[in-house]
Amino acid sequence: MIQKEFVLMNRLGLHIRPAAQFTKIAAKFKADVYLIRDGMRVNAKSIMGVMMLAAGYGAKLEMECIGEDEEQLCAELTELIENKFHEE
Amino acid sequence: MKNSPVAAMPSKATAAEVMLRGIPASPGISIGRVHLLIPEKPTIAPRKIAPSEVKAELERFAKALAETRAAIERSRERALAIAGIAVGKIFDAHLMILEDSVFHEQVSSRVSREQFAVDFIVCDVLGHNMEMMQHQSGELFRERAADIRDVRNRLLRFLRGEGDVVPEKPTEPVILVAPDLSPTDTLHIDRQLIRGLAADTGGLTSHTAIVARSLDIPAVVGLGNLTSLVRSGDAIVLNGNSGKIIVHPRSDTLTEYRAKQDRFQTFLSSLENLKDLPAVTPDGHEIHLWGNIELPFEAESVLAHGGRGVGLFRSEFLFLTRDTAPSEDEQFDTYDKAAEVMAPHPLVIRTFDLGGDKLHGSINLRQERNPFLGYRAIRVSLSRRDLFRAQLRAILRASSRGNVRIMFPFISGLEELREAKAVLAEAMAELERERIPHDHQIKVGTMIELPSAVAMADRIAEECDFLSIGTNDLIQYAVAADRGNEIVASYYRSFHPGVIRMIQSTVKAAHKAGKPVAICGELGGNLLATPLLVGLGIDEISTSSTVIPEIKKVIRTMPLSDCRRIASRALRYSTAAEITAYLTKQLKTRLADLPIWFT
Repeated sequence: MIQKEFVLMNRLGLHIRPAAQFTKIAAKFKADVYLIRDGMRVNAKSIMGVMMLAAGYGAKLEMECIGEDEEQLCAELTELIENKFHEE
Repeated sequence: MKNSPVAAMPSKATAAEVMLRGIPASPGISIGRVHLLIPEKPTIAPRKIAPSEVKAELERFAKALAETRAAIERSRERALAIAGIAVGKIFDAHLMILEDSVFHEQVSSRVSREQFAVDFIVCDVLGHNMEMMQHQSGELFRERAADIRDVRNRLLRFLRGEGDVVPEKPTEPVILVAPDLSPTDTLHIDRQLIRGLAADTGGLTSHTAIVARSLDIPAVVGLGNLTSLVRSGDAIVLNGNSGKIIVHPRSDTLTEYRAKQDRFQTFLSSLENLKDLPAVTPDGHEIHLWGNIELPFEAESVLAHGGRGVGLFRSEFLFLTRDTAPSEDEQFDTYDKAAEVMAPHPLVIRTFDLGGDKLHGSINLRQERNPFLGYRAIRVSLSRRDLFRAQLRAILRASSRGNVRIMFPFISGLEELREAKAVLAEAMAELERERIPHDHQIKVGTMIELPSAVAMADRIAEECDFLSIGTNDLIQYAVAADRGNEIVASYYRSFHPGVIRMIQSTVKAAHKAGKPVAICGELGGNLLATPLLVGLGIDEISTSSTVIPEIKKVIRTMPLSDCRRIASRALRYSTAAEITAYLTKQLKTRLADLPIWFT
């Protein structure tokens, strides 16, 4: 399992379109991925789950990737987050 | 609205008449019976299935998913055709929710494991998600609960084999009452049967209000708890002019409102023949009578009501109906469409007026102690050059049609105006380099809505092509009364002599510089104000399109010489009450049949 912490720096936070980008990548992998915010843990392959975190700009999140291709999954999602969901 | 199906007697002899006040969202008076549209509650009882039925049940789920997908896509097309990209995006979000793979997996695995009918499982899973979403902080996240509900209801209808219909569709003309109308409900309204819309929630720019105006259905929103007070079949009176709702009307109330309805109807038809006539006073002075719009398709309504230009195109909706900043191309498409509809008549696009009460996720506005005195409108634009430049480029590209003008909101003095014009010049130079056609002589206007801008109006007028007085904000800032704050509502006086003097001095300053001046706030749509504004020398009145015919009627009735006399007399009074009483008397003696006297 890989664990990672990050702060959302895209203006919209994990709103519907960024959340869709996130879950689209997650869906390509066998590994499971979870997002945790303030004790709430959701399956990050679900757009409804991701939005349930109501994570806006500046929100602190933990990500857990579990499964055989977890490294690649974690890398791709990290890239997306660090590039601010290509919002600008 | 013509005759309603309500008999002379109230619906229930025992029920007392109840009057509620909401926000008038679309004009007209309707009398009818309530059709209560309560979103379906997840009341599906768990139904056990045999292990052998699991496979068929999952196939039923897959089929319903496909049918729902097709239905949402149809709504999306319909929305794009009727209301444009902004509303279409709502259905994009619905598709994303429907396609949630974890949702599909949860449903499949629970049906297999627990052996319950798929309807119950769908309801349970989505109901849980909705509840979680409803309790989120952040308006935009909470709104998604309504989207999930809309998707869930459609999916359940397909699972039940009912197809894509609103359940209990009315069979006779009714007034639709709902907590809030879902995008699907409002888009699939049969306007032959729906005589009015009333919603517990919502404001002037809510989805319900926008759709009602575009379909010309009287509507009142923001009614609080109307849905808990009425049942389907109750008699109801809806006044979209005043925002009043009367449930269980007494027979004398019904008689009174039938009379009002008739007079309103008669008056409206009497205005029909004014449509193609100019707004000219009997002594030959022409006022440019234009419409204010929020969505591009409303430009058609301006023309249909006899307006010959758009004096205020509020561009904020591009932000408010979505969660991402609109791209330059998308904006261009929107502005160009409106410009095409209006051509050759002018289309004045106001740059984004965000902030204040119009917050948005994509701008990340901080909580402010005094948002109306804070970070809004041009201040946001000047600090977010990326957004501002994209908007200016989009407006400039649309200006190649030759009828587009640009207007900056919330200018306090020359600093912001010069800075905004500099960004505009940069955008023009860019387009020049890229050889993208645009209007090199595009007219640039300034909103006069801050007292400091009134004081500086002479200098401002020298540096732009026109002024436009935004009375809503001007009054609010002149008398220092937040117009959304009920406690100080009595201080917000449209006819405050201080405000009238500010309008007068702005007009004088503009005319001295040889520039025209417009009114584009609520005051422009207030018939009482029309003779006063004309008398003060206002060149253009821009107001909501539905009031245009009435304003035109007033202009065509009152000679400029009379209006001037009225204005100078009004300026001699010392209080708002005196001015209001004077203007009322003047108008009433000349135009006894105006709807304002009886709605």
